Amino acid sequence: MTYVLRIVLASFIVFILQVTVVHNVTAAGASPDLIMVMLVVLVIDRKPIVGIIAGFLLGFLQDLGNASFLGMNALAKSIVGYGIARYGRDYLPDNILFKGLLVFVACLINDIITLNIAISFDPTEVIFAFFRYSILSAAYTALLAVLVMQIIDILPRRMVRSGDRY
Amino acid sequence: MQIFSFLFDRHLEKTVLAAAIALSVFMLTRPEDSKISAVRSISSFLLYPVGRADDYFISVEELSAENDRLRGLVVSLSHENERLTQFRDERNRLRELLGFRKDSFYEFMPCDVIARSSSRFHHSITVDRGSGSGVLPGMPVVGYKGLAGRVTQVFSSSSRVLLLNNKSVLVSCLVKRSRVVGVLAWERGNLFSLDYVGKEEDVLPGDTLITSGFGRVFPGGFPVGTVFQVADEKTELSRRVGIVCMTDLNKLEEVFIVIGGRDWEGGEAWLELEKSRREEENADDDEKDGGGGGGEQ
Repeated sequence: MTYVLRIVLASFIVFILQVTVVHNVTAAGASPDLIMVMLVVLVIDRKPIVGIIAGFLLGFLQDLGNASFLGMNALAKSIVGYGIARYGRDYLPDNILFKGLLVFVACLINDIITLNIAISFDPTEVIFAFFRYSILSAAYTALLAVLVMQIIDILPRRMVRSGDRY
Repeated sequence: MQIFSFLFDRHLEKTVLAAAIALSVFMLTRPEDSKISAVRSISSFLLYPVGRADDYFISVEELSAENDRLRGLVVSLSHENERLTQFRDERNRLRELLGFRKDSFYEFMPCDVIARSSSRFHHSITVDRGSGSGVLPGMPVVGYKGLAGRVTQVFSSSSRVLLLNNKSVLVSCLVKRSRVVGVLAWERGNLFSLDYVGKEEDVLPGDTLITSGFGRVFPGGFPVGTVFQVADEKTELSRRVGIVCMTDLNKLEEVFIVIGGRDWEGGEAWLELEKSRREEENADDDEKDGGGGGGEQ
C-alpha cells in the first residue's frame, strides 16, 4: 500500500513538473513527455494489466490539462502502457540503450494516436506534424528516460520497487 | 456467467484494455460542454495545487523580468538624478554669485485705483493700500502687462503712485533681445521714447523693453513697452526709438505693488526717492509758471 501511495505521489509530482517546468526546457521546439517516462519506468517489468491501468490513469491525469480532448491521452497511454508491459520486458534485452529505444518507439506510437485524434485523422497534417514535432520530442524523452532509469538503478532497490510483482 | 468467465478469467488483459479504450473513446465523444465542466469540477479538487504552482512559477518569471527592467530603470534614474543634482547645485552657485536670490522673488499686493490726479503734467493715481498694509515709499507698481510707476507717498490706508507718463520720470531700460540700454522718457499719451541709443545699436521694431535695474530705483526685468519705431537721424549720433507702453496708463483700474525682494527703505533708492520728491515739488511750482523738468533714473 505504501508503494502505491508513493507511485501516486510520484505521478502527481511528475504531472506538476510536466505542466510547470517542461515548457522551460524545450530544445528546438521539442519538449519531453515526463509522464511517458513515468509510465515506462512504472510498467516495464509489470504485468500488462498494470500497464493498461497505469497508462489509463496517467493519460487521464494528463488529459485534465486539456479539456477539449478529454480521453485522448488516456486512450494513447493505455495502449502504449499495454505494449510496454506486454513486449518490453520479454522481447528486449536488458540493456539501457534498448530501454531508451523502447521509450522512443512508445513516444512515437503515443504521438501517432494523439495526432490523429487532435487533427481529426487528416493524413497529410498528421505526417507533417509527426515529422515536425514527434521525432525530436521522442528522442528528447528517450534521452531523459535513459537518464532517469540510470539514476533509478543507482538508488537502493527498496526505494523504488515493491517486494511483490503485480 | 460464462461470458464473464471468458472475459475476466481467460482474457483479462484484453478485456481491461478494451474497457480502457472504450472509456477513453466515450470521454472523447462526449459533448465539449460536459467535458469541460467535468474537467473543471475535477480540476477544482485535484489540480488546485498544480494551478497555484504554475502561477507561482509564472509569477516568478514575471517578477524576475520586471526586476530586471526595474534595475535598468533605477540605474537610468540614478544617473539622471545625479545630473539633475549637479545642475541644481550649479544653478544655486550661479544664483548666489549673481545675487539673484534677493531679486528673484517678488510679492505682488493687489490694489484698486481710487483716485486720479487732475494735473495735466503730473500723472499719478491713488490706490487703496497704505502703510497699514505694509506699503513703503519707492515700491514699484505694475499693471497686468508691465511696469506702471512707483509709490511716492504713503498714507495710513492709501498711497500715491507716480506713473511713468510724467516728464519727471525717467526709467533706465534695456532691449530684451539685444541688451541695448537706454532711458525711457514720456512723450505723449501712451507713447515713450528710448533716449541715448547709439546709431549702431541693434534695436528693431517689435523688440521688448524691460527695466534694467540700473540705479536701483526700479528692479530689473519688468516689461515696460514694445519698440514700434526706429528712425535713423543722419545729423545726430543717436537713434530715435519709439516705444508704446505695455500698460495702458490712462485706463488703470487695478495695479499691483511690488512688496517683496528688496529693502526699500535702506539704500540708494530711498535717497533717490527723496530727491525725486523734491524735484516733483519743483515741477509743481514750475507748472504754475507753465514749465516742467527734473528727472530720475
